[in-house]
Formats: sequence, structure tokens, C-alpha cells
Amino acid sequence: MSSGDPHALESRLISLGIDRLGLLGRHAETLMAGYARDEVPLEGLSTQALNRLLGARILWRPDEQGGVKLAPKVRELIAEMLADETRRHVNADVAETLELMRSLVQSYREARDAGEYWRQEQQLLRLRQEVDDLNGRFADAIDSLWRRLNSDFGFVSRLGDKIRENERAQKQIVRLLDGLELIKFDELIELVGSDGALRKLLVSGLQQQLTHHYTSLREVQRRLIELMARFRQQQSRSRLVAGMVGFLREHPGFVPGNYARRSEVPELINRAAPIRPAGAVALDHDADARLITELLHCLPRSVSRPEPVTAAGAAEWPEDTRVAARRQALKEDVEGFYLAVVDQDGEGVSALEYLQGSDLDWDEELWLFQVIAEYQALPRSEQRAFRLHRVETEASPFNHLRLIHDVHLRLALPA
Amino acid sequence: MIEQGPLLERLLAGEFLCAVSDETAFRHLQDETVREQIDAYLRPLNRRLATNTDGNVYFLAWLRIDEAAREQLSRQLSDTVGSLLPMLEWLQLVQETLGRDGLAAPGDVLKPADFSSRCEDHQGLRDRLDRLASDPFFGSQSDQLDAQLKQVFKRLKEHGYLLQPHADRQYYVVTGKIDYLIDLVRFIRDEEHLPIKDQSSSSQQSLL
Repeated sequence: MSSGDPHALESRLISLGIDRLGLLGRHAETLMAGYARDEVPLEGLSTQALNRLLGARILWRPDEQGGVKLAPKVRELIAEMLADETRRHVNADVAETLELMRSLVQSYREARDAGEYWRQEQQLLRLRQEVDDLNGRFADAIDSLWRRLNSDFGFVSRLGDKIRENERAQKQIVRLLDGLELIKFDELIELVGSDGALRKLLVSGLQQQLTHHYTSLREVQRRLIELMARFRQQQSRSRLVAGMVGFLREHPGFVPGNYARRSEVPELINRAAPIRPAGAVALDHDADARLITELLHCLPRSVSRPEPVTAAGAAEWPEDTRVAARRQALKEDVEGFYLAVVDQDGEGVSALEYLQGSDLDWDEELWLFQVIAEYQALPRSEQRAFRLHRVETEASPFNHLRLIHDVHLRLALPA
Repeated sequence: MIEQGPLLERLLAGEFLCAVSDETAFRHLQDETVREQIDAYLRPLNRRLATNTDGNVYFLAWLRIDEAAREQLSRQLSDTVGSLLPMLEWLQLVQETLGRDGLAAPGDVLKPADFSSRCEDHQGLRDRLDRLASDPFFGSQSDQLDAQLKQVFKRLKEHGYLLQPHADRQYYVVTGKIDYLIDLVRFIRDEEHLPIKDQSSSSQQSLL
């Protein structure tokens, strides 16, 4: 094998790669339509273009009759570029990579021993790429996990779906951790031997990166479990409430036991009756006098809120002058009755008889009411000068309601 | 003890204290010495501090339960059971109207305006709110959406399930009393052996 061949191969690969990447750009709309739907729409795609896309393994046809679909790798690439968490895959197939690394190390050694420096360089480059890929896969997976976690699995709307997504993410973590377990550094140390370049790449560098991934994975795992507990609690509360609502609707007359009558009253039921603590200014405490004075000064002046004023206005009847005049007339007539009693000189006078005997036309009830009111309004000293006797009966034997039929008033003469 | 005055006053008035309703007070109550002090103070009043299953709300319980206390507790329980269906239906309505993952939880912010805009677009939700608002527990007499919402939020605030941080701003915060209500529902289910499941068997398995 001449040394020119690999160079020619390389440049041919590069030009083919550019061509095929160009295919992705040229048919971006069609490909994205295929990403969003189940199949790639073939309208607007010439047979030649379709064949080229199939040849580049960008599209594939699962069976002869079926439609054309995006190749899994392309779908993954798009999902990765969009950070589309519904379709992003977590795949860190460590075992295969390790296998590949072993054989690359082997070829590298052979090239070195044969003094083929160019081939040796190529093998080292491929090894470096494999290590980078491995790292990248872990980093991508961890990034995807964090994104899903931080959005509270916002890309699915229902709680049940979130729980399933969380479960799936947790399984992925377990697989990733299992993958990390496969990388045994003792074995790698032995594999690289005394070669400095290999040692730097496969031992010190890789170890540092993998330790970092391991810590991240453990952290994201812990957080996923916490989030799961929250999801479960939410789910359990929703189910409980839905269940109880259903039950209460089906059994409208349902009454639970009276837990307050049990010898041991359950904690949750024991809620003491409220007490409203009240306080007032203590005027007997001289020391507070100054404070109280200050507080008084601080009181807002004239609390003229609009509502109380209108409320008070409605409650008070406007004083009508005609009514006031009649009230005054009644009062004067009753005073006349009192003067008549004084004139009787100790003889009892019936208020009703007086009313009928005079030419006054007051309502009897109103008259009696005013006589009694007048008596009660007298100053104590003058009240003692009269004796008021109510002629009354019990309204019914069952209560103490008494009906006043008349009042007799007489002057209380000193005995 | 004087620094716990406002806290005691609220507890004595029958309030539930949680991290939402009074964060400082709640933090104080996390301290066992403070709780002991409060209990000592409450003893002559025949009361003591109590909490729910998860310890996220505090309220006062009777220390000794005499006949009068039993009488009061029975009345209180029957009131609570009476309000259970409208309360739980409201919780479901909130979840569905706002498209949330779970029930309203302490600290969640609820705005009547969100409800009215969703209900305007959705006749089914509108009808349910209409039925719920006219339930005696909420007691709305109106057939106007905004008036109904106002009444529902007012009642929930009166009952301590919601907190309105600013009297003139229309947003409310769910308090820890909701957790108490859920605990009570779970308690009644367990005590009465009601056929209500809150966990699917498959998810329970995967928890293990």
C-alpha cells in the first residue's frame, strides 16, 4: 500500500461528505416535514433526489410498499440539534467503544513498531476522536437529562406522562452509570503501557472527564428522584380528591362517624374554638397616661367615611315639623292630665277615663304610653310624689307577657 | 413571651399558621422551645398547639376535652364535612381551569382574572363554576361570572384557604390550610374505609 492512497481516500471522503451534507441543506424542508410526521412527503422530490437521499442513507424505506422515512441517525441528529427532549436519545454504548479503542491501540502499536509514523498519527487521531465521542455522548446525555429536569418535563402536558418520562430518564441514568462501570482504569493502564501520548489520552484525561460525568449523573439522579416524589405526591392528592368527589356525589347522604365523640379524639379533628382577645385603655394606670394622651392626639380626626354617613342618614327619620307639633300637643295634654291628678288631691284617676271625659281624641294606646313615659321621665324626687298603678292582665298562662289596660295615677300624700 | 403576642393572638383567634400565612411566625414555631413556651402559656386556657400530618400548619387544639369541647368539635366537624364537596370540587376546577399538573398547593398564586378569561372561552368550565358558586358554601346570588368569582374568592379567604397579600390587588396565595383539608379527606377515607385509591398499583411497585 503506497502512502499516497490514504491521502487520496481521505480527500475523496471529504468531498463526498460535503456533497452529502449539502443534501441535508438542500432538502431541509422535506426532511423536517419527515421529522415532524411519520413519513417523508415525496411531493416536490424528484426521483433522482430521492435516490441520492436514499444512497446517502439520510432516508430509508423500511419495506418496499411502505413510505420513505428519516434514517434513525438523521432523526437523532435533528433531535440533538433542536434539543428536542421528546425524541432525543441517550446512548452511550461504552462496550463497543472500548472494543474499538482496544483495537486502535493495537494498530497504533503495530504502526509505531513498524516505524510508520503517518499511520501511527492516523491511529492516534482516531483514538482521540473515539475518546471525544465517548465524552460527547456522556455530556450530551447529561445535558439532555438536565434539560428535562429543569423544565419539570414540561414537554409533556399530563402528569402521568411526566411520571413515565421521569422513570425513563432514571433508567437511562442507570444504563449510563453501568456504562461508566465498564471502563476499568487498571485495564487501560495496562493497555497503554509506557507510551506517554496514550497515557495522557486514555488514562489521565479520560479519568478526569469520566469522574466529572459520574458526579453529574449522580446529582441529576438525585434530583430526578426528588422530582418524582413530588409528582407522585401531586398525583396521589389529585386522585384522592377525585375519588372523594366521586364518592360524595354518589352518596349525597354520607355522614362520617362523629370522631369528636370518641374517647380518643383524633388529632386532626381537635381544633379549639376561637377566642377573640379584647383590650381597652386602662385609665387606672397613671404611668400610661402620657402614652394614652399621645395616642389620643394621634387619632385620625373626623373619620368621615362615606358609607357610615349615608347609612346613618337613612336610619334617622327627617324631623317633620307636623309630627313634632303633634308630639308636643300630646305631651302638653298628658301634662294637663298630671295637673288634674294633682288637683284631685290623693284621689286615683284613671288615665282612660280622663281621656274619655275630656274632648281629646288621642288613640288610647298612644295616650297610655305617653302617660307612662311621662312618669318615667320625671326626676326621681317628683316621681315619688305620684303613685302609678297599672291595671294589667297576663296575656297567657304560659308566659309572662302582661297587657296593660289602663293606668291609675294618684298623688302620694305623706302618711 | 411578649414577642410571641401577635402569633398567639392569631392562633387564639382560630387561624391556621403556615409558611405562607406568616413566614416569621411559622419559623418561630419550628423551634421546640418556642412551642413549649406557647403550650405553657396556653395551658390555663385549656389549649395547646397542634399540627397536621406533615407539620406544615399549626393551630390550637383543646388540651382537655370536656363535654362543651366535644359539642363544639362535633358542630365544627359537621360544618367541615358539609363544605367538603364544594371545596374539593373547587380544587378540581382550579386544576382543570389553569391546566395544572396537580391540585393547588400552598404558595400557589391564583388570579380571578385567569379564571374569568379561561371560563369565557370554555362553556363547560363556565357551567361548573356557575353551579359551584351558587352552592350554599360559596353562596353567590349572581349569574355574572365576575361577581361569582369575587364571591368564591371572598369565601375562600374568609375560611383561611386563600390569602390576599394586597387588599386592592386581585391575586391570592393558597395557604397551608389546603394541606389540612387534604389530610382530613385522607383521614375520613381511612376511617370509613371508603373505596378510594390515591395510588395506582403499578406506580407503587416502581417506587420500591
